[in-house]
Amino acid sequence: MIGILLLIPILFPVFAGLAVFPMENRKTMRTFVSVIVIINAAVVYGLAFIPDAELEVWNIADTMVVSFHQDGMSKFFACLIASIWVLVAFFAYEYITHEGDESKFLGFYTMTIGTIMGICYSSNLITFYMFFEFMSLITVPLVIHSRTKDSMKAGMKYLGYSVFGAGLGLFGLFFLNYYTKGHIGFTSGGNLDMSLVAGHENWVLVVTLIMVIGFGCKAGMLPLQAWLPTAHPVAPAPASAVLSGLITKAGVLGIIRVCYYMVGIDFLSGTWVQTVLMSLAICTVFMGSMLAFKEKLFKKRLAFSTVSQVSYVLFGLFLFTPQGLLGALLQVIFHAVAKNIMFLSAGAIIYKTHKTYVYELRGIGKQMPIVMWCFTLASLSLIGIPPTGGYFSKWYLATGALSGGFGFLGYLGAATLLVSALLTAGYVLPIIQEGFFPGKDFDYKGLEKKEPSKLMTVPLIILSVAVLGLGIIPTPLTAAIDQISTTVFAGM
Amino acid sequence: MLEGNGLLMFLVFFPFAAGLVSYLIGRNSKRARDIFVIVVTAAELAAAIFLIASASDTNDFHWHAFAGLGVHLRGDGFRTIMAILAGFIWFFTTIISIEYFKKTESRNRNRYYMFALWTLGATMGIFLSSHLYTTFIFFEVMSFTSYILVIHKETDDVIDASKSYVGFAVFGGLATLMGLFMLQANLGTLEMDALIPAIESTGISEVTLVWACALVLVGFGVKAGMFPLHTWLPQSYPAAPEPGTALLSAILSKAGIFGMFVITGQILLHHFSWGLALTLFGIATALLGGIMGILSDNFKKTIACSSMSQIGFIIVGVGMQAVLGHHNALAVRGSILHLVNHSLIKLALFMVAAVIFMNLKSFNLNDIRGFGRKKPALMFTTGFAILGVIGVPLWNGYVSKTLIHESIVEYIEIAEHTGWAYGFKAIEVLFIIAGGMTCCYMLKLFFAVFVEKNNDPAKQAQFDANKHYMSVPVTVILIISAAILPVIGAIPNITADGIADVAQHFLHGHSPEHAVHYFSWVNISGTLKSLGGGVAAYLVIVRLGMLRKQSDGKKAYVNAWPEELDLEKKVYRPALLTVLPFIGALFARSVASIVDWFTAFVGKIIFLKRPERFQPPLNNEFGTFNEEEKESKIPQGISYSLIMFGAGVVAVLYFIIISFISGWR
Repeated sequence: MIGILLLIPILFPVFAGLAVFPMENRKTMRTFVSVIVIINAAVVYGLAFIPDAELEVWNIADTMVVSFHQDGMSKFFACLIASIWVLVAFFAYEYITHEGDESKFLGFYTMTIGTIMGICYSSNLITFYMFFEFMSLITVPLVIHSRTKDSMKAGMKYLGYSVFGAGLGLFGLFFLNYYTKGHIGFTSGGNLDMSLVAGHENWVLVVTLIMVIGFGCKAGMLPLQAWLPTAHPVAPAPASAVLSGLITKAGVLGIIRVCYYMVGIDFLSGTWVQTVLMSLAICTVFMGSMLAFKEKLFKKRLAFSTVSQVSYVLFGLFLFTPQGLLGALLQVIFHAVAKNIMFLSAGAIIYKTHKTYVYELRGIGKQMPIVMWCFTLASLSLIGIPPTGGYFSKWYLATGALSGGFGFLGYLGAATLLVSALLTAGYVLPIIQEGFFPGKDFDYKGLEKKEPSKLMTVPLIILSVAVLGLGIIPTPLTAAIDQISTTVFAGM
Repeated sequence: MLEGNGLLMFLVFFPFAAGLVSYLIGRNSKRARDIFVIVVTAAELAAAIFLIASASDTNDFHWHAFAGLGVHLRGDGFRTIMAILAGFIWFFTTIISIEYFKKTESRNRNRYYMFALWTLGATMGIFLSSHLYTTFIFFEVMSFTSYILVIHKETDDVIDASKSYVGFAVFGGLATLMGLFMLQANLGTLEMDALIPAIESTGISEVTLVWACALVLVGFGVKAGMFPLHTWLPQSYPAAPEPGTALLSAILSKAGIFGMFVITGQILLHHFSWGLALTLFGIATALLGGIMGILSDNFKKTIACSSMSQIGFIIVGVGMQAVLGHHNALAVRGSILHLVNHSLIKLALFMVAAVIFMNLKSFNLNDIRGFGRKKPALMFTTGFAILGVIGVPLWNGYVSKTLIHESIVEYIEIAEHTGWAYGFKAIEVLFIIAGGMTCCYMLKLFFAVFVEKNNDPAKQAQFDANKHYMSVPVTVILIISAAILPVIGAIPNITADGIADVAQHFLHGHSPEHAVHYFSWVNISGTLKSLGGGVAAYLVIVRLGMLRKQSDGKKAYVNAWPEELDLEKKVYRPALLTVLPFIGALFARSVASIVDWFTAFVGKIIFLKRPERFQPPLNNEFGTFNEEEKESKIPQGISYSLIMFGAGVVAVLYFIIISFISGWR
């Protein structure tokens, strides 16, 4: 009956989050939310140490079952998301005071983690789809929090794309239901019934492509990426941080579940679908970086950067090799950490100085040294400068692409990763340079320290230590990922 | 997890910890910080010297968990020499920097020392690495920490120069990374010892291998200032504070040479075309650096360009190693020795520059003209360094330049009856010309500072009266740094050959069959040709061309380098910052907007009849829609619907036919 424990991280935050809405006292509200997210993280970590478990909740109709389980992949994503969620919560307490409607924001924020945990722990595509839609819906209030016209429009765009993308996933499910004889649960290696598939390989491939594109919407992959640079920047900074850093990873998990756990990589590797998907990922990597390089609005630049960086992950996944998966999962972690730092730094800057354009940030490093140091470390990781974590993940992605026998596409992929890294340097380093070295004509007299309170800096520092520390000593991460990898590639 | 010689780990990681500590100390006491920093660099130097005791090919250190593939360090002969060199140069520049910053710009010293120490650690990491992954990690760390040294003065020029520095560093680093990806993917290892066996066992195609090495070369070439990747160098070297420039020129550029050594000695061993390419790049670098050095009217820029030129000589030596194949003893020894010599000479020269700047706050030759008169210690140091760098017999530069020159001559003899002999004859002539240029610009500096009088007699009197232009410790280190030079040069069969014997193994070199007669007439006459040309060039170009009469009738130096001839501002920046991003952004925006256009199109069709605005009800019974309708660009009516239907039918038919033809299953 260990399985019942899986319900705690899913249901507890959702219901407890409801209780946040009527709260008025700031202190109780903060304490309450902290307790919820910390308990949630603690339970998730506890679950990671117990063996894999399964729980069937509700049988809707014959093969349609709402059920949960945990395997290595669930643990990986759940631990990552739950821990960063705690840190961002602390940042949000202070930040959201200047946006107003604190209880509403924190309430939805708390509920969202429950739905994401549902995504992590779902054991079949029906459940996955259900929580995926929950998550999309419940994050809309975070996007439209400021209630400006722009944010309402962005929220609608976000909702439209999300529902359409998830719909494509659901559409594929109907087909896979047939080709798997109703075994729509997640089993590593996939569960296609080859006797049914024989003669219809291309149909299955097309369906897979559609599903991946559908879930790729959340991960900001071409062609359904247009919502991301619109929706992420309008949200309050803590929401942007989790949207960009963590919720995009739900789309990644969807793609992993479809490719690695339903259709199976044996079936997919070497097909034209793999080529198409790799090309899409490569295009997205370049496109995102390029547009970020051209963008002047700070948070929008970061959002474009997310488009690019999450597609690094997808590129690694689409290699369908252990090295590619290792690189992809490492990139999941390091992008999540780095992008959270960057959005939170942007938030701290907005909160303290109300500056939103990159060319306004001259001398910001002198005003907020701690924040900008964290931002710098995250930037170096985002570019992939050793010994930060981002370098480490890119190493595996690129060597995986070159050694997997992909020929030209592999070289193109690796080269694109580096061109994108160059562009990344082009869009983050000038901010840092202007920030720390404003030039001699800068008005040092009028300079005042604007370092935000500990509530904001401490989460940033913790994340920055992680980005550097895990880059220098990544052994625990690689060990964990190797374990996942051996089960995924067991049959190969 | 950690195994091997702890001394190696100490050399690399201690400065990182010490850097942080120095920052914390400096927040409370500047004096304590200064002492601490000197002690740290002295400890590094001592540790590097201790390394001699254990130097061997199995003197390894491994930290397996570090950043995935681990840190692999080794303290063999060549690496030990490089470590001692780095420790020595850091120790001396630290001593002078304390006085330098007190007299010039005392802001941000804490930051400078922290990053200087971190750069020391990273540089040690590069020089001691026995695995290209380790080399690369520390190479990148060094690029970024040294950036802070370059930007230290924070004036607008400096910031512009540092942009160029960091841009090239990032670009070069990523190109190198691509090369490393290719090597790792094809060979399965980056362990330096294992590379040549892996090339044989994996049967990697030569094209892939050369491409990979060329990419790796880009990053190291940038750091060394190799043409055409040199454009940051004449900007950044003058931009940094002089103790920082001493580090950049004397030791950080050698990290680039180290990388070239690794490629030439450990990957593309004895590869003729590779060597030829490097030789050509090297000679171009030497000539261009020389020309820029001659034509500048700035003391510091001249020695910065001189660095570029001398590094060109080293690169020629590296190229000749590969060209000569198994007979490369002279080239191997020449390039190693010129590396060491150039480091020592440039240390002395940039320390002299620091002394000049902390007294005069200028480097313009007209401003500093005559400053060196009646200053024997300064003159001694500068004079010895100049004699070293232009290659006068008995000084150290002579030894290494002769070896490199001899290696070119050797190849001309080997290739006697082929077309290559003529080609290398041309290279030899260019080499001698470049040597003459060194002589020319160094004479310019020496005469300007130590012989000629300032145009302003009052200023000259002030210069002559200035006896306390540097403190005793600085005087001592300046004299030491100059006195070393003839030690290597005067007894080369003991000192220079000793260094070469210890180091050459790294490059798969071997001692020549018979001892080199450095002071034979053949060698001396070659040098004399070069020096004679240099003196002639000085008389013609500098005395006649660059000393122009001013309005007051006195002659002053003018900058003869055409500033508009700027490869970076004319080609690199416009191409990389304007043209390519424009094309890229055009592509990116089109790709990114496809779905948006599609949704807009679908929206137009679906909401064709929908009125634009809802008119609030005029009475309470019912609402009404606004009369005005939004004009739709899409034509309406039955014919349009039919066309759309037809398009759909065509698409379906097309799909059926295609799937029929291609056997869609």
